[in-house]
Amino acid sequence: MSRKKITYTVPRMGYTYAAFESFFKILGYDVIIPEPTNTETIKEGVSNSPEYMCFPFKILLGQFERVLEKNPDRYFKVVSLESYGPCRFGYYSPLYYKILRDKGFTNFEIVNIEGIYPPLYKGIPRFFKKLIKLTGWHAPWTIVKAFVIAGWKVYALEQLEKKLYYLIPREKVTGSTEKIFNAAVERIRNAPNKVKSIKKILNEELEKMEKNPHVERDDLPKIGLVGEAYILMDYSNNLDIEKKLAYMGVDVDRSLRVTNWSLDRIIKVKSHKAHMLEVNKGYLDFFIGGDGQESIMNTILYKKAGYDGVIQAQPFGCLPETAAKEILTKVSEDYDIPVLSLAFDEQTGEAGFVTRLEAFVDMIKSRRQMKKEEKKESVTVEG
Amino acid sequence: MKIGIPRALYFYVYYPMWYGFFSSLGHEIRLSIPTNKEIINLGVSHSVDDICISVKVFHGHVKYLLNKKDLDFVFVPRIASEEKYKYTCPKLAALPDLMKSAFVNDADRILTATFYTRQGDKLIIDAFEEIGRKLGDTEERVKKAAKVGIKYQDLATKALRSGHTFLEVVKYIKNLEELIKKPVEKKRYTVALAGFPYDVYDTFTNGDVISKLEDSGVGIVTTDMLDPKVYRHYSKYMIKDLFWYQANAAAKGGMYYIDSSDIDGIISISSFNCGISSIYQKLLDLYSKEIGKPVMHIIVDEQTGDAGLATRIEAFIDLIRVKRGDGLVSQENNLHGTEDGVHVRSV
Repeated sequence: MSRKKITYTVPRMGYTYAAFESFFKILGYDVIIPEPTNTETIKEGVSNSPEYMCFPFKILLGQFERVLEKNPDRYFKVVSLESYGPCRFGYYSPLYYKILRDKGFTNFEIVNIEGIYPPLYKGIPRFFKKLIKLTGWHAPWTIVKAFVIAGWKVYALEQLEKKLYYLIPREKVTGSTEKIFNAAVERIRNAPNKVKSIKKILNEELEKMEKNPHVERDDLPKIGLVGEAYILMDYSNNLDIEKKLAYMGVDVDRSLRVTNWSLDRIIKVKSHKAHMLEVNKGYLDFFIGGDGQESIMNTILYKKAGYDGVIQAQPFGCLPETAAKEILTKVSEDYDIPVLSLAFDEQTGEAGFVTRLEAFVDMIKSRRQMKKEEKKESVTVEG
Repeated sequence: MKIGIPRALYFYVYYPMWYGFFSSLGHEIRLSIPTNKEIINLGVSHSVDDICISVKVFHGHVKYLLNKKDLDFVFVPRIASEEKYKYTCPKLAALPDLMKSAFVNDADRILTATFYTRQGDKLIIDAFEEIGRKLGDTEERVKKAAKVGIKYQDLATKALRSGHTFLEVVKYIKNLEELIKKPVEKKRYTVALAGFPYDVYDTFTNGDVISKLEDSGVGIVTTDMLDPKVYRHYSKYMIKDLFWYQANAAAKGGMYYIDSSDIDGIISISSFNCGISSIYQKLLDLYSKEIGKPVMHIIVDEQTGDAGLATRIEAFIDLIRVKRGDGLVSQENNLHGTEDGVHVRSV
């Protein structure tokens, strides 16, 4: 049986695109990764999608369109991740298909991965049908191997990223850690397809980053990031908010990562939901899809973990996040934690964005100072 | 007890049911006034800025009712699902939570229950029992009242299916049987309005599209007049069903009207920053491109001016007339004496 030469293209998710790439490479396909979000892809996406559609949809449409345009002689399988739920995230692929066909592209088909949704007797066969459509016919062990390698690469990249944002505010020479990190991402990307070698590279690179001269300190202000998954996870969509905060001297933590996001949604669904309902009691006791509930939950958890502030990043007009935003104002008052809501759309300018971040960070720093002084005073009064 | 019902969002779908329930329990129902500038201002000042205008208007209605101190409760139901395996928009599913965080001081006066409709009567009765417990009525009476409510809803659905708008249903709520028997006048032109009931029927927010059309001699039909059975086959065109009952009704109903020969054109009405309508509008656009029937989108926000809208509707009516071969509006037929024959109301 001769296989039709198929090229895959997948959405970028921050640095983890390297893992998705290796998944399909192990299965023996070509992969073309779309370029990071830039003005050109945004322009392309915005001009073809409905006006009030989510921003992630527009970004992805633009990216896919550029890929299809540049490679007219290849046949593409466009991978689209979806959920079945009350938010618009579940209706991406039919619209991609219709809009791209309307634009005159014929060299593609769309494969979507979505969870098993009710009714079960229809949902389970549909899930496996889609899985086979996604990967093609392969020996099961090849697929498992590809999956494990991809999972390990995602894990490795996230560890490196965590280390990077931890070290940036502490490094002695500004920008030195980032250089090491960039080389490390490249090494992980091209790592041989063995768990052992990925582990080895990860440990080596982490050590290298650790050896980079830096000052250990634990008095940095801490900010947590919550919000919509795709905006949060891809650095090119959120204008590198994490790196910017890190360079401003802030300990930054992102609540949603590819690993915990997919674990919570695929394997630990039940316990995750129960946990969420428990934390959100009195604020939002109902499933509203997207990452709206997670935003509220993580804000509360950040406060409990001693963070000084939370930034909610959302695409403009995102249905669950707008609902969450209104409730977050109450959470912010009740728990005494500052929350900054940033809406991203095609108009977002970098300068205004940086100013808002700086103002927020300044506010948090002065709040910390005030609290410290209050503590000192109370101590002296007691003493 | 006195219960306030905000005249917004799902009021335009389930009012008969709530009317039947509360009135047969002997509670007094107080509706908020139809949307006006004051209500919109109230709503805008009490909600976050990037939420859709329909929800902002709802904030306004709730605040208006909460300001009336003699009301015991304001009814803010959570419509969780309107069909099996279908949901409502996340903002609407979180509606009671939004209201409670927007009006913290009056949170106890907000009466809420979670409704799952069109999935059998049992789930509806469960929701009503939840309300009955809060109001302190006996279980037996609540059950009876819930059945009355469901009966009212069925009658209202019948009235809608026979071609009456929901505004008439609200007017004739006490004798719906009479409304069902009342014949609907057939006009030379018919325009279909596709959209969520709360966008189509909120006459202030959408600039009174219905009266503007009716005054210029155009009959209207809406997508909630259709039985879901008639447009079921469009899910094949849409590849995957939408997850929201109302959006499905608007999209598939719109497509059904695009296909039917006695409809001259489709106007879709939605509110600014409504995410769901952006999907069905694109689908209607693509479908009308294949069939060749005029589709116009009206997107309303809190700043909609009446004159601009009137011009667009005039142009649309002209387009329909030309397509039928009747030419533009002539001066003899011009009943209203305005330049284009469209009656312009002062606001």
